[in-house]
Amino acid sequence: MKPTDPHHSHENCLALFERLSEYIDRELDAPACKDIEAHIKACKPCQVCLDTLKKTVDFCKNLERHQVPETFSMKLKDTISELVRKKSD
Amino acid sequence: MSNPSEKTKSDDKDTELIRAINSGRQDLFYELVKRYEKSLYNFGLRMCDNPSDAEDMVQDTFLNVFKYLEGFRYETQFRNWLYRVATSACLKKKRRSKYAPDRELSLEAFLPEDESAVSVDLPRWASQPLEQVLDGELNGIIRQALLELPEKYRLVIVLRDVEGFTTQETSEILGLTPTNIKVRLHRARLFLREALKTYYETD
Repeated sequence: MKPTDPHHSHENCLALFERLSEYIDRELDAPACKDIEAHIKACKPCQVCLDTLKKTVDFCKNLERHQVPETFSMKLKDTISELVRKKSD
Repeated sequence: MSNPSEKTKSDDKDTELIRAINSGRQDLFYELVKRYEKSLYNFGLRMCDNPSDAEDMVQDTFLNVFKYLEGFRYETQFRNWLYRVATSACLKKKRRSKYAPDRELSLEAFLPEDESAVSVDLPRWASQPLEQVLDGELNGIIRQALLELPEKYRLVIVLRDVEGFTTQETSEILGLTPTNIKVRLHRARLFLREALKTYYETD
């Protein structure tokens, strides 16, 4: 960030850093969001910080989902059938 | 993440099924298993060190659900209750984890010391298209990084970001305050981001 900006300080960056996840999750109120957006717009490092964190979250949301191994699924089915049978006896 | 209306529909369907099971149709219990075994298995894979522990966790969870289903309170969403049972099963399995000793992650550890320490360009790893996560090495890096997270952070990030529970739901599942969930989630995300950064920058 350019030192010529009177509103900018490293303290602001640190305060923002703590709230980035809440911002990503839309858990902040409108004034807090506005503050963050104004800061981000003027502070490239914070923008990168936000973008990389957002991307990390997106990656987690899109992780590969595995199929349940068939042998385990069959075993589970048998175990459950046995339980049900015992209970209804 | 599932959208709210899909969630409500599946809650209704679950409630209907559970009422039937609890009124004597225990033969329908396997329907419930079929609905959730894949989700739980994947939850287990994120939480446990190996597939065999994930399988044990899934089985233990359904056995407990079978045992306690009569006491299910219908005002609770079944999926949330199910994950609470699954979380307990995971915690029992955890003891042997070689990856993630219990420790606190402090926010300070992730703070940039000053502005010059922060890149002003989006790093290469963060420019990768999402599709690459599905089958590429990124999937493996994230999986490994999740396993390296201390469990109390891993549980939160897996429930929130991988499974798609809200902050409120996660706080109910884990019995923690929403503030506590938010703090842990933020640190877990920073840890993961750091792992991605380290991997790609030392590549």
